Amino acid sequence: MIEVKNITKSTKEGRQILKGISFKAKKGDFIGILGPSGAGKTLTMRCLNGLTKPTTGEILITIDNQVHDIAKNKGKELRQMRQKIGVVFQGFNLVKRLSVLENVMIGKLGQINQFRSLFKGFNNEEAQKAYEALEKVKIEKLAKRKVASLSGGEMQRVAIARAIFQEPVILLADEPIANLDPTNAKKIMKRLKPLSEEMPVIGVFHQPEIASKYCNRIIALKDGTVVYDGNSDISEDLLMDIYGDELQEIENQALVSAPLA
Amino acid sequence: MSMLVCNVSLGALSKGIVDGIAFLGEMFPPDFSALPDMIYPAVETIMISFLATFFGALLSFFFALAGASNISPMWLKSISRFFMATERALPEIIIILLLVAALGLGPFPGVIALAIGCIGMLGRLFSDAIEEVNAKTIESVQSAGATKIQVIQYVIIPEILPSLISNTLFRFEVNTRLSVLLGAVGAGGIGYEIFYSFQLLEYERATTAILVVLLLVFMSERVSDYFRKKILSNTKLK
Amino acid sequence: MSLVIDHPYLIPSERLKKRAFIFSVLAIIVIGLSIILDLNPLLFFTDGHHLINLLGEMVPPNVDILWEKKSIFSSILETLAMAFLGTCFGGGIALGIAFLAATNTSPHPVFRFIFRGLMSIERVIPKLVIILVFVIAVGLGPFAGMLTLTIGTIGMFGKLFADAIEEVDPEPVEATYATGASKLQVIKYCIIPQVLPSFTANLFYAFDVNLRSAIGLGIFGGGGIGFEIHMAMKMLRYKDALALILFTIILISIFEKFSDYLRAQILNEQTLK
Repeated sequence: MIEVKNITKSTKEGRQILKGISFKAKKGDFIGILGPSGAGKTLTMRCLNGLTKPTTGEILITIDNQVHDIAKNKGKELRQMRQKIGVVFQGFNLVKRLSVLENVMIGKLGQINQFRSLFKGFNNEEAQKAYEALEKVKIEKLAKRKVASLSGGEMQRVAIARAIFQEPVILLADEPIANLDPTNAKKIMKRLKPLSEEMPVIGVFHQPEIASKYCNRIIALKDGTVVYDGNSDISEDLLMDIYGDELQEIENQALVSAPLA
Repeated sequence: MSMLVCNVSLGALSKGIVDGIAFLGEMFPPDFSALPDMIYPAVETIMISFLATFFGALLSFFFALAGASNISPMWLKSISRFFMATERALPEIIIILLLVAALGLGPFPGVIALAIGCIGMLGRLFSDAIEEVNAKTIESVQSAGATKIQVIQYVIIPEILPSLISNTLFRFEVNTRLSVLLGAVGAGGIGYEIFYSFQLLEYERATTAILVVLLLVFMSERVSDYFRKKILSNTKLK
Repeated sequence: MSLVIDHPYLIPSERLKKRAFIFSVLAIIVIGLSIILDLNPLLFFTDGHHLINLLGEMVPPNVDILWEKKSIFSSILETLAMAFLGTCFGGGIALGIAFLAATNTSPHPVFRFIFRGLMSIERVIPKLVIILVFVIAVGLGPFAGMLTLTIGTIGMFGKLFADAIEEVDPEPVEATYATGASKLQVIKYCIIPQVLPSFTANLFYAFDVNLRSAIGLGIFGGGGIGFEIHMAMKMLRYKDALALILFTIILISIFEKFSDYLRAQILNEQTLK
């Protein structure tokens, strides 16, 4: 369960990018965050994850029946909270020279005692669990391959496995399919959806059709505020209103690549 | 361009050339009987170079971590980079002169001098390599809650490992050459043998020592090249 | 599906054993070598006070020596001149030899073989030896040093230049030959302009290297600052020595920055053209 309470974010020069964003997310939600460039989608995600601190507002996350505020914590407390937040990025962000299995295990580094990780490394139980995480995204056969030799779609699945391995209470995805071709994008969305049954999944998506198709809730941002928070039946007119001219570009791109249906 | 003519006397050169060539004649034929005496010093030189490269690389790595802007606070990075640049400007000869004055002759100051000498070059190369690690990868692992040390161990070291090893091997070559030079100043090994032979005026003996040096340098080059090629092909295929 | 069954070698405990093994072997080698060489690191701590004593004697550095003793000033000039002339002569000769050694400009393959061979040999002979020979030939002092650096530069850069000449774009060369130009004309108008930028850049680098070597050679009879530092240490005039060393560091740093700047300028001009 995560609750965002009226967060704002201003730059050092005083320009306000986020102007008061609030929403709640719980188990079962597969939320797609939409909006034109510059609306503040990625910035919101970074606040949720603790990579950036909002200027004002609270982000309350419930871990083990205790409520913590991500916006207020730093250092060790923040790290502990982040262990429980799984993130999948646009650029996959895996350690290319390590094996797939090792990359997944890295997900739990925060939960392993520092000394042990320094000398002994991971233990067998963790390796087994990591392997099971790979099974969940159906790439356990690639466990020993170096990440650098995988395709984009496979890499993203490893990233998801790493996030799952953390046993998080929430999964965040920042434009996870932006670098993938349509076939792989479809595969990834199909992997993400079932995860929402166990925890809230919040993803930023560049293409509204994809979000509408797979997510069960849409939050649209424009100019740093929430302009729509409801189910995925978002109307064409409203999208036009939000995106303006950009909508045409996005639809053109979608037409050029193969249909997703 | 201004021409600074100092102490250059062509007259002396033409006269000296004859002496020089005559001298070269005295150095041949090489006195091969001295060869067995050269074996231990040669090995000693390599040992010095090996240990110095090992410790030097280790030392440089820590300086490099401190000097990388993506994982080190600004003040630490500036200090470290400054120190590395200063060290680069210090010829190893001077370092060993200082160490010999403090610690006496022998391989000990030699190893230390060469190890310290690595910091300038390896430190900077390693530091640059660390800075080139994809920032987003570091960020994403930190998102999962890892500490800085864990990030260094599980992200940075695997990513820069080929560059680490390759540069260290190259430095081994350089250190072998330097080890010979430092030997003449008192670090022992075959450098000292050359110097000593000259002092005893046994020039043929010196020539044998020189030939051994050629062999050493050549071999260290081969070994280093071989392993570096292997690493390069390893990384390419993956 | 179990990790143990499908990929047994991925189990962390196995890999840990492997890593521990490699680490132990390395540790044994290092410790073994240290013992052989009588390298007792504890000595560093027990005898470390020697270092501290030395440092104590060296500080504060006697900076006045730089302008008091006139010979220091000339030593500095000597070192700079050594490096400079060594680079100039060495570079010039290297360039000439390079033309003889490159496949596309060499009059005869024999030249190529001989000169490449000579350069390889020179690279391997330690400068120590070369300077000893020259010292016998022309006596102690910067002249011997300069000659050594010249030869060193030829060895280092002869190969580089020869390679650069061989990598020149062959098309304009062929075109110029086609107009009936002689070999020398082709070299002058086609090849030299193409290798000039890398030649100049390398020359600056050579100067940097030679400056450092000049200091080192000073100890073995080359004169210049190196000699002064060595003398100062031998005569236990540590404060003087430190002053000279600090000055050397500053000198090298200045020249490095300066040559970097010049190189950037020249290369920039080349690319803008």
